[in-house]
Amino acid sequence: MYPDPDRKPRFTRLDLVIIGLVVAFAAFISYRVSDVLIYKWNWSFLPRAFFRPDPETGGWEPNLLLEGLFTTIRLSIWAMIIASVLGLVLGILGSRMRLLPRLLSGAYVGLIRNIPPLVFLFVFYFFVSSQIVPALGISRWVRDLGPTATWLIDFAAGEPRLLENFIAGVISLAMFEAAYIAVIVRAGIDSVPESQIEAGKSLGLGPLHLFRLVVMPQAFRAISPPLANQFIMLVKDSSIVSLISVQELTFVGTELAISSQRRFEVYIVVAVLYFVLCFFLSRLFARIERRHRLRYGGH
Amino acid sequence: MKLFRTIALAAVTALGLAAGPPVQAQDTQQALAADSVIETIKQRGMLRVGLSTFVPWAMRDKNGDLIGFEVDVAKKLAEDMGVEIEFVPTAWDGIIPALLAGNFDVIIGGMSITPQRNLTVNFTMPYAHSSVGVMAHIASTKGLKWPDDYNSPDITFTCRRGATPCDYIKANFPKATLRVFDDQNQTVQEVLNGNAQVMMSSQPLPAFTIYDNPEIVFAPNEEPINPGSEAFVLRKGDPDALNFFSNWIMLHTVDGWLEERHSYWFGGRPWADQVAE
Repeated sequence: MYPDPDRKPRFTRLDLVIIGLVVAFAAFISYRVSDVLIYKWNWSFLPRAFFRPDPETGGWEPNLLLEGLFTTIRLSIWAMIIASVLGLVLGILGSRMRLLPRLLSGAYVGLIRNIPPLVFLFVFYFFVSSQIVPALGISRWVRDLGPTATWLIDFAAGEPRLLENFIAGVISLAMFEAAYIAVIVRAGIDSVPESQIEAGKSLGLGPLHLFRLVVMPQAFRAISPPLANQFIMLVKDSSIVSLISVQELTFVGTELAISSQRRFEVYIVVAVLYFVLCFFLSRLFARIERRHRLRYGGH
Repeated sequence: MKLFRTIALAAVTALGLAAGPPVQAQDTQQALAADSVIETIKQRGMLRVGLSTFVPWAMRDKNGDLIGFEVDVAKKLAEDMGVEIEFVPTAWDGIIPALLAGNFDVIIGGMSITPQRNLTVNFTMPYAHSSVGVMAHIASTKGLKWPDDYNSPDITFTCRRGATPCDYIKANFPKATLRVFDDQNQTVQEVLNGNAQVMMSSQPLPAFTIYDNPEIVFAPNEEPINPGSEAFVLRKGDPDALNFFSNWIMLHTVDGWLEERHSYWFGGRPWADQVAE
């Protein structure tokens, strides 16, 4: 969860105890690392892992770590969009009175939510997507594209020659997260009091208007905090697609750690990058929520 | 009329039977050749190679480009085929499933031939041989002969916990002291400091350490220990590709190119300044 933006900061005795414990723990870890674990720290490789000289312009261009970070961001954005749409549809289906839509949504959520993400990823990738995605002929299509289209794909999805794998990663991530979003959306819709719907009906609203004007605005307020949470989870979950070799932050981090033999340094940097990304997202969502509350009134 | 029809039917059937099998055999041959990954590579004008990062087989240089023994091999292979090369860096755990799924044409990834793996995929003839290496402290092992003189209580071996060299030392040097460490760097450091005499691990770590510290440590043994054979890995049912790649390896084994590249990457670290460290 992200911090409540309206709460006044207070410093209590409990805070003091916790800070003391954290400092003691950090000191203990650093003692263990420096004394017991014989490890020569060396951070000098780091700047070059972010930027490399561009031989054509003489300037600097992003190197492995930044490219990996960009891929993680692209991956997360696409997966968020697809997961939101799919999750919204499934959530709405799940809140219907009729049996068939509810069964459909329930089967999807039940199937995916009860499989570990990693296992789902492997099953989906090796049995489903690796049969379907290559059959679409994407890699051949990409090869024959003009420079503008290539640039567009490069901007939206990273290196065009890796597009097939990227798509597989986005789809598996989106399918997985959609199951959780569906549950959130359904709970949000269910939380709208029946009386509101009846009141809307008595005003003569049709089902579409009723949903758009009465149910959705109220449901959105209920679902936006868990939804924001789920998006942040998605960014972190995106690290598992490194196992199907999508060249995102964790994957390039592993490669760099092996190549440079500086494992601890690399993984610490990767962790910091994820933290920055997720922290930025949590602030962003807190802001959106506050604005939404100002506009529609809060509870 | 009825008789005629019966005769005609019999004639057609006989003809079909007579002509059938050869046509089928030819079809199968053509289909096999057309389905070969070699044909796909030629049509595409690009060889797609799966590999996994492992020093010095394949690793990232300072600019994020791939370098290493494998990378040289794959580039040369593509050059000889007259096609472009595309590397698909893949997580080691999923590299065989990714090959089977068709993500790339061939694994050139330092994969050792094992019967278990060979049940699911095909291996070409080996293009490299890995082995366990030995590194000994010069000052404290003067005049000792490998391996017999090292089997004595005065000698201390180091190895990394759980690695195969540990079992090898226990089996072959029962009288010597064995010290096991969790960290590979410590096994090296103990020998460099002279606290232990011999370190064993898979190559090229011993070779690199010797290359970097020639006045402190040396290699008492030149014979390969626990040798493994690394080969290209292909999907099953592709005799044309198996033949092509095996012959390519054979040719470059004979002309010494593979040997020369292997000793460049494994013999020492003349390439160290290319890698981020």
